[in-house]
Amino acid sequence: MIDLSAPYMQRAVLEMLLLAVPAGLLGSWIVLRRLAFFTHAVGTASFPALVLASAWGIAPQLAALAAALGFGVAQERLVGSRRVAADAATGLLLVGALAAGVVLASDVFESGAGVDKLLFGSLIGLTERDVWVTALVAAGAVGLDAALRRHWLAAGFEPDSARALGLRPALTDRVLLVGVAAAAVVALDAVGALLVTVVLVVPAATVRMLTDRLVPLQLGAVALAAVEGVAAVALADDMNVGAGPALAVLGGAVFAAVAIATALRARVVTA
Amino acid sequence: MTARDDVAAERPASASGREAAPTPVRGGLVVRDLSGGYAPGRDAIRGIEFVAEPGEIVGVLGPNGGGKTTLFRALLGELPIRRGEVALPGRPAYVPQTERARLDFPVSAFDVVLMGAYARTSWFRRVARRDRDAARGALERVALADRADATFGALSGGQRQRVLIARALLQDAPVMLLDEPLSGVDGVSAARIEAVFEELRAEGRTLLVATHDVRQAAEWDRVLCLHGRQIEYGRPAAVLSPETLRETYGAELIVLEGGGTAVGIGHHAHEH
Repeated sequence: MIDLSAPYMQRAVLEMLLLAVPAGLLGSWIVLRRLAFFTHAVGTASFPALVLASAWGIAPQLAALAAALGFGVAQERLVGSRRVAADAATGLLLVGALAAGVVLASDVFESGAGVDKLLFGSLIGLTERDVWVTALVAAGAVGLDAALRRHWLAAGFEPDSARALGLRPALTDRVLLVGVAAAAVVALDAVGALLVTVVLVVPAATVRMLTDRLVPLQLGAVALAAVEGVAAVALADDMNVGAGPALAVLGGAVFAAVAIATALRARVVTA
Repeated sequence: MTARDDVAAERPASASGREAAPTPVRGGLVVRDLSGGYAPGRDAIRGIEFVAEPGEIVGVLGPNGGGKTTLFRALLGELPIRRGEVALPGRPAYVPQTERARLDFPVSAFDVVLMGAYARTSWFRRVARRDRDAARGALERVALADRADATFGALSGGQRQRVLIARALLQDAPVMLLDEPLSGVDGVSAARIEAVFEELRAEGRTLLVATHDVRQAAEWDRVLCLHGRQIEYGRPAAVLSPETLRETYGAELIVLEGGGTAVGIGHHAHEH
């Protein structure tokens, strides 16, 4: 079982439970609005900023958030220029960010030892401040979801009518992207810049296969993210690996199991 | 009677300041010399000029890419308008082509209809009870009360179209823009939709209905023929001549003449 005597384990478990809130609420929107690749790219984009932050001693969350928002603006500019498709623009910026981070870490600051921690997360590295910031983002996710869920639902379901329905999709969709960026920034403390999707996408995508309604999807995704997160912390502590890789293996296994089970059930029903 | 006289009498607000217009036209819809488009310097629609009275159904005819949807976007305030004016009695409701709606969204038919009440629901409240009742009533009007809890994506194409129409009913808009609501729907759905159109006409609402079916448009009050520019507007009997249709559809008319639609045109043309 999980040993909670060490303070770092208490912080890690608390962090995972708090992360489950944006992972379930915003993660459901990420899945429904097809933002999984964007989410992955936002996490990766913050990698060079994290390298700079650790070298200059500034708050990593601030640097990462700045990088994530900068990524969002750059992406919108690139797409807006109509010369690059959205996913191509995302891929381009993603690769650029990864390359910049590696060059900065290895050649400029020669801090190669910390790179895998930044990319794949660390259990021991979590500070009390990290947990507080995550709590803040969790509360923000609850507020944003309550305020804008109808906008996100209607604009995602069918964008042409959103304005005729009295909504403001251009504004509210942008707020969703900022919310996703903030969630990615707090997720990368725990699971690393390369693996933010294992907490923000995989649980919601798993539950999506089990329900056709929004509220069960969101609550189910929060619950699954919490269970998987805590289990991943225990697993990581046991096997002495990062929480990110542990969660990736665990979340991937659960996703695969549910996918196979639902496919088999559909076969039985249609047969 | 010309459209221009009506426009002058009704003092339409300018297109750009439309949302702030203090004295909108009562009931109907006035469009005067409207031109606009997304691409800079190129108008997707131009020279649109018509008046639709309350309680009129206007059939909007034109080839694919002829500007039917673009005109609707202009009336919704989503198209850059370069010239001309639009006067509306209130925010219009829009019924998109069913293919525009995502089938993999976790929403029931009832959830979709409720979207029609979002504009009058504050963010921290549930949708009001009377709007929920009205949403059920709207589903009843399109004969889908028993499918309220069905997932939208699991409905048939005709049923999905009726759900989107029920959503527009809940908006309670004086003007409704419907983008090919009768294309590819089953007979039961088409009959129900046309019955709803009749009810809306009796309620004094103005309906603009984009369609490919000339015979159907001939049954309605007015016909607007588009091919980038406005070809003709008026009573179906006066507008639907072979010449106008040829000018409207251009090369596409040849295709039409082989199908059932052209038979309707032919009959109509011979009668006059």
